[in-house]
Amino acid sequence: MKLLDKLQILADSAKYDVSCSSSGSNRSNRPGGVGNASLPGICHSWSDDGRCISLLKILFTNVCIYDCKYCINRSSNDIRRASFTPDELCELTIQFYRRNYIEGLFLSSAVIRNPDYTMELMIKALKKLRHEYRFNGYIHLKSIPGADMRLIHEAGLLADRMSINIELPSTASLKLLAPQKDPISILEPMSFVRERIMESRELVLYKKPQSFVPAGQTTQLIVGATQDSDLKILNLTEHLYRRYQLKRVYYSAYVPINDDQNLPSINTSPPLLREHRIYQADWLLRFYGFRADELLDEGHPSFDTHLDPKCDWALRHLDQFPVEINKAPMEMLLRVPGIGYRMAARIIRARRLGPLTFEDLKRMRVVLKRARYFITCNGRYSGGVDLDAGLLYPLLSDKANKKVMAGQISMFG
Amino acid sequence: MVYVTDGSFEGILTAVFEAFRNKEEPEEITLGGDFQLPLGTDVREIPVDAEKSDRVWRGVQSKISQQSLEDLYKAYLSEHPRVGLYIYRYIRLGLNLGRKVEEYLQHPDVQAIHDLSRRVGKEVHLFLGILRFKKLKNGVFYACYEPDNNITQLITDHFARRLADQAWIIHDRKRNIFALYNGEEVIFTSELPDLDHLACEEEYEELWKRYFATIAIEIRKNPKLQRSFMPYRYWKHLVEKQP
Repeated sequence: MKLLDKLQILADSAKYDVSCSSSGSNRSNRPGGVGNASLPGICHSWSDDGRCISLLKILFTNVCIYDCKYCINRSSNDIRRASFTPDELCELTIQFYRRNYIEGLFLSSAVIRNPDYTMELMIKALKKLRHEYRFNGYIHLKSIPGADMRLIHEAGLLADRMSINIELPSTASLKLLAPQKDPISILEPMSFVRERIMESRELVLYKKPQSFVPAGQTTQLIVGATQDSDLKILNLTEHLYRRYQLKRVYYSAYVPINDDQNLPSINTSPPLLREHRIYQADWLLRFYGFRADELLDEGHPSFDTHLDPKCDWALRHLDQFPVEINKAPMEMLLRVPGIGYRMAARIIRARRLGPLTFEDLKRMRVVLKRARYFITCNGRYSGGVDLDAGLLYPLLSDKANKKVMAGQISMFG
Repeated sequence: MVYVTDGSFEGILTAVFEAFRNKEEPEEITLGGDFQLPLGTDVREIPVDAEKSDRVWRGVQSKISQQSLEDLYKAYLSEHPRVGLYIYRYIRLGLNLGRKVEEYLQHPDVQAIHDLSRRVGKEVHLFLGILRFKKLKNGVFYACYEPDNNITQLITDHFARRLADQAWIIHDRKRNIFALYNGEEVIFTSELPDLDHLACEEEYEELWKRYFATIAIEIRKNPKLQRSFMPYRYWKHLVEKQP
């Protein structure tokens, strides 16, 4: 088979994995080598769906022994199958890198023969890439559920980031759609990797540091393939960040590819807006000091698709507003709808030099479309409407979904 | 009074020096002699002077901050027609306030520099990603681009670190600036011909295009979003956007 065909087959099979970030690694080039990681990550292109392309995201093989119902590579699907040789994969990565097409490689694989065998193939290719091709760019490796911990350890010494996809947010969903996989085989390597990462950081103190997954680990959850609520997803997310210290949880709106009685019908369009709301909430958990139970609870288990989660929260907590821009602490500025992390920091710095007026905020490029209803500047309120949930709702809700769609996945960090 | 400089950063700093010495506030500080003024405007030619510009440079470093100096330089690279005046005003304010001036974002003089410097910084970051090299017949990797801002000198270190073992050329076609890297150091020149025609038709370009086309999820197509990240004007030099 021609390399061009292989590339197409194996990229096509990999594209439903949404993660493509190249951030978080401090790996640097060595004499005679090629490649250098960039800590904040770099996007190299944006595909026609508007998603950032940072890494060569590809499967090692799409030959699979499993028959997971939601997956394009399930063994019972009649699709073209292909596998790379280690040299083909290394050559592609290096040549793309030299032309500045990519930051590195995101290698994943279907399960060929058994998990250990698959993992060994991937490790062999990565070793070649790191040692023979002397590649010091970014590598994200997807570990294979069920592979031996010894192999995961070996892989972690070569990769910058590792991930293992949970995909289905509950055990019940997993049983229904991927009966051959068991939840332990996903969570066990996750805690193993977390422990090795902590260990590798401790070692730094007294001997030459051994770099183990320096950019941390991530996972992905599918949204909308099952009945799991936003609440369930967000609680799981919070648990993953706390318990496993994941760098990111990615969400992928389910794109129907297979026909199955347990799945949404093939004509269902992917729940992009729902995915977008969950991403927004994820940001609130990681950077804005919110807890999952503040955003959703049993009485309110899903996000309002017309309202971003922060506005949604604010309208239910109007007693905490308006916030005085010149006095409020960082934590509270961060809770104002429309004020992001950078703007809050900018406000804190600027107000040290003198009280800020509404006009000052405009000049500082603070977006006031939403924020104006929730703030005062030196006691002056410029919202022009009473602080009342009924009045504010129509002003804050997205009238057309179009605008929201244009903004989605702008957060690729 | 309008100050006319040679358009270099040193020229602008010399003008700043002269403005302070003459105790006058220029209405404009021009970049080069190519400008239009209403009849009867007073014009002062400012010949670039290394000693004067050095004093302003060091003054900004010691009395304001290194960060401010970098912001001013980055803003300068935007080539905005009024950037000379903005630089003068920022320095004037900064000499009063010291390093605090960096945070005085509600002040229009600070905002102007901050905006331009951020605009330049954003384009630098974008091009670290979307600059494309092609292999020439002689084995050298050649990248041609037309950035809005004069950013070539801000991106070369990055490529020298990561593409350390290959010879490459980065060519700003708009400004006729070439950065040459030979595996050891970067040299700037304007004395090279256009090299685009020496590129060999390449297997890897075809592979990359195929990859690019394959990786998009059809049902999620969103050209508006794509363009918001990767504006149309940059597509000319992107392999994956060529037919």
